[in-house]
Amino acid sequence: MNTMDSRKITIEEVKKIAQMSKLNIEGDEEKFSQTLDYIKILDELDTSKVSETFQVTGLTNVYQDGSQKVTLPREDALKNVKETARNLVVTKGVFDRE
Amino acid sequence: MSKLNELTVLEAIEGLKKKEFTSVELVRACLTQIEKYDSKVKAFLRVTADSALKKAEEADKEISAKGAEAFINKPLLGIPYAAKDNYSTKDVETTASSKVLEGYVPPFDATAIKRLNEAGAILLGKTNLDAFAHGSSTETSDFGATFNPWDLTKVPGGSSGGSAAAVASHMVLFATGSETGGSTRGPASWCGVTGVKPSYGRVSRYGIVAMASSTDSPGPLTKTAEDAAVILRVMAGKDSLDATSLQTEVPDYLSEGKSFSMQGVKIGRPVSYFEMELEEGTRKKIDEAIEVFRSLGAEIIDVDMLSPKYSIAVYTILQRSEVSSNLARLDGIRYGHDRNSFGFEAKKRIMLGAYTLSSGYYDAYYAKAQKVRTLIKQSFDSAFEKVDLLIAPSMPCVALNVGESSNSPMFGEMMDVLNEPSCIAGVPGISVPCGFYNGLPVGVQIMSKINEESKIFGALFNYQGATGFHLEKPALIKE
Repeated sequence: MNTMDSRKITIEEVKKIAQMSKLNIEGDEEKFSQTLDYIKILDELDTSKVSETFQVTGLTNVYQDGSQKVTLPREDALKNVKETARNLVVTKGVFDRE
Repeated sequence: MSKLNELTVLEAIEGLKKKEFTSVELVRACLTQIEKYDSKVKAFLRVTADSALKKAEEADKEISAKGAEAFINKPLLGIPYAAKDNYSTKDVETTASSKVLEGYVPPFDATAIKRLNEAGAILLGKTNLDAFAHGSSTETSDFGATFNPWDLTKVPGGSSGGSAAAVASHMVLFATGSETGGSTRGPASWCGVTGVKPSYGRVSRYGIVAMASSTDSPGPLTKTAEDAAVILRVMAGKDSLDATSLQTEVPDYLSEGKSFSMQGVKIGRPVSYFEMELEEGTRKKIDEAIEVFRSLGAEIIDVDMLSPKYSIAVYTILQRSEVSSNLARLDGIRYGHDRNSFGFEAKKRIMLGAYTLSSGYYDAYYAKAQKVRTLIKQSFDSAFEKVDLLIAPSMPCVALNVGESSNSPMFGEMMDVLNEPSCIAGVPGISVPCGFYNGLPVGVQIMSKINEESKIFGALFNYQGATGFHLEKPALIKE
């Protein structure tokens, strides 16, 4: 049920993940074809009745109090921006992948 | 009296209070040390000499006007420190040692930095790390490696290698580090300094370049456990800008630690940790440290815990998954450079994380790892039902040769195996030097329940009171 077959990330998968991660790895695909065999060790442990631990603090529904007004002045927020126009950030086009 | 840069934080505060020297003299002594040795050690990415001297002048004015009272609201007034370069520092370039962030000048301070500065501490510079803290040798930095001050042919450990090396070579009185899976205790161990991985959430993560958000734990690297107690108290505390920060009051670690008695304290020796492959010299030093604790009044008890070997797989999956999510935000539009600037290690981690989180593989990898995380946490919970503290080596061996890590793709995970379980469980641990093997420092760590750092400090104050390993200095800086 929990078994994981010996797996290596294939070159095809590497290409797909690189595209999804917006990383250009052309020519280096082989280097990224990693094996995941080391995680097979987890099969030794029965987790069929165990739930996940996503966080360890036990804190839930943490909100800021209303007085928290940390915000950056516009000029500070734009200081590291490559390209601005009318005091706004110029981003890449979303549609048609400009 | 020792040279000013060689003072501990507590000694320096006393000297400043008594006006035996000035903060400007203290800062200059550190700058001289950096100038003398950092061309060899390469701990710093940049030194903020001018602004540090200006702040030191202001501190001196305040001390001269108010005397010792100036330290009531500013307990670290006039004390120079270095920040790991993944801590955002207002108006000071912050790169996390990655070319992606080269030239980025944050318009704000990380909360921990803000707290240190408000306490009067003076930022002297930013230290090197593995790029984005991805590594355990500081060799993956895009700006070149840092070298171990005890032996320049060895690595300092990582990812907080620059901070550990800077403290070990007395270039600064203390430094900040951050640990996700061993990044503070590891380099502290290999450089012979004190390194604190606090309870997860004890120190705010706000403004620290994120690696794996569910385990990232910022903390100090210092010359002594007492200094660490003082610095942690300033850095720690609830922060409305980090929803995972612990809401409990921050205790006075120094006074609580000092009033801690070792008599009858139960220290657990997790058998599975000692079943891992440990270098003989390291094993011997840890056994000797255990005997010191026994002679101080502690009862040493063998405890069964889940083997750290499982933590390697859990840590790798969780860390890669969270990295792929955290580094997705870097696109070079609002700050930094585009994604072509990522180094090989970061690309590899992002891609593996994207893979383990993908639909179809999520259950087999990410969900499975989070389930085993539950078992790891339960293992700590049940150990702490029997004992007050746990003792273990910080690293399986002493510092390795420069270049050795590149032969092993899992180098970091293997080296950090004794720190990963507590990171995954959110448990605090502090590493201090406990002797030398082949001329290189060995570190021993003490762990406690979440939020019980005072007990660890108490045990370590006793240990450092009985031993002198933390006072040793590398031959490099002895003239």
